Amino acid sequence: MTKKKTSAPKKGAGPSSHSHANDQGHCVNLLRQLSAYIDDELPSDICQEIRRHLGACPNCEVFIASLQQTVTLCRHRPAPQLTSDDRMNMRRAILNEANAR
Amino acid sequence: MRTTAPKTPPQRQAKQESGEFDRLYRDYVDLIYRYAYRLCGEAESAKDLVQETFLNAYQGLKGFRGEAQVSTWLYTIASRACIRMRRKRKGQPEYELSLEEFVPTSEGEFRLQIPMDGLSPEEALQSKELREALDQAIEKLPPKYRMALVLRDMEGLSAKEVGAIMGLNERAVKSRLHRARLFVRRELSARGITQHDDHKPGGMRP
Repeated sequence: MTKKKTSAPKKGAGPSSHSHANDQGHCVNLLRQLSAYIDDELPSDICQEIRRHLGACPNCEVFIASLQQTVTLCRHRPAPQLTSDDRMNMRRAILNEANAR
Repeated sequence: MRTTAPKTPPQRQAKQESGEFDRLYRDYVDLIYRYAYRLCGEAESAKDLVQETFLNAYQGLKGFRGEAQVSTWLYTIASRACIRMRRKRKGQPEYELSLEEFVPTSEGEFRLQIPMDGLSPEEALQSKELREALDQAIEKLPPKYRMALVLRDMEGLSAKEVGAIMGLNERAVKSRLHRARLFVRRELSARGITQHDDHKPGGMRP
């Protein structure tokens, strides 16, 4: 039986090189990627790494949930609508101004 | 979107242009008002921005060759008009947001103190207090970050479309969007929303 050689993790070689032990650096690194994670834009290995971290770091898990909630609220915030009078008055003002120029 | 007919008499051409403008206005005024309201945060400035946008569109109609979607073209005109109007009014200053400032430093900063459990976002947003907190957080954003957040997360455009409108590459759009989201998240987490009012149909007013 042959043993595979294992090399020491390289410094700064990306998220997968960190082991989690309340590693503040890892949490900050995760913070940089949260929107890309929420928007499903990251490669699957990095997503897996993030999920592993979230399972081990309750604070990050709560944080990402709160960011997701924020995005959801923005997406569903209704906007007010114009009245038909507003539409008509603005159209008139635009055409008057255009003809005056 | 427009077909140029050579040798069209001037009167007929003017009528044709007016018809094109009417169609443009009818089909897109609600979309542009919604965008303008989200950028400006209140109705009167939003109406000024809509008028400026369609005035510019009226004058640029001849030059529009339909290479971009009409909505993207109008979003672009509105975004530029908004920047010009803000400069005149000396509104909220631009400044850069750094990621470091969004790292929570105490236990309470990780979560939102918002009662959303078991509620759909629409139900949660029936709370006037929550709507106001969200609007104020978005309004506090430096303008260039607010524009990225409004276009992407509220108007639902892709990062590529937002880039075309704001004159940025996708990477820059995503970077601005990420900081904007973190900013709004932090503002919301700093406020405790307790009230759960307006829980009735039709209560969803600004």
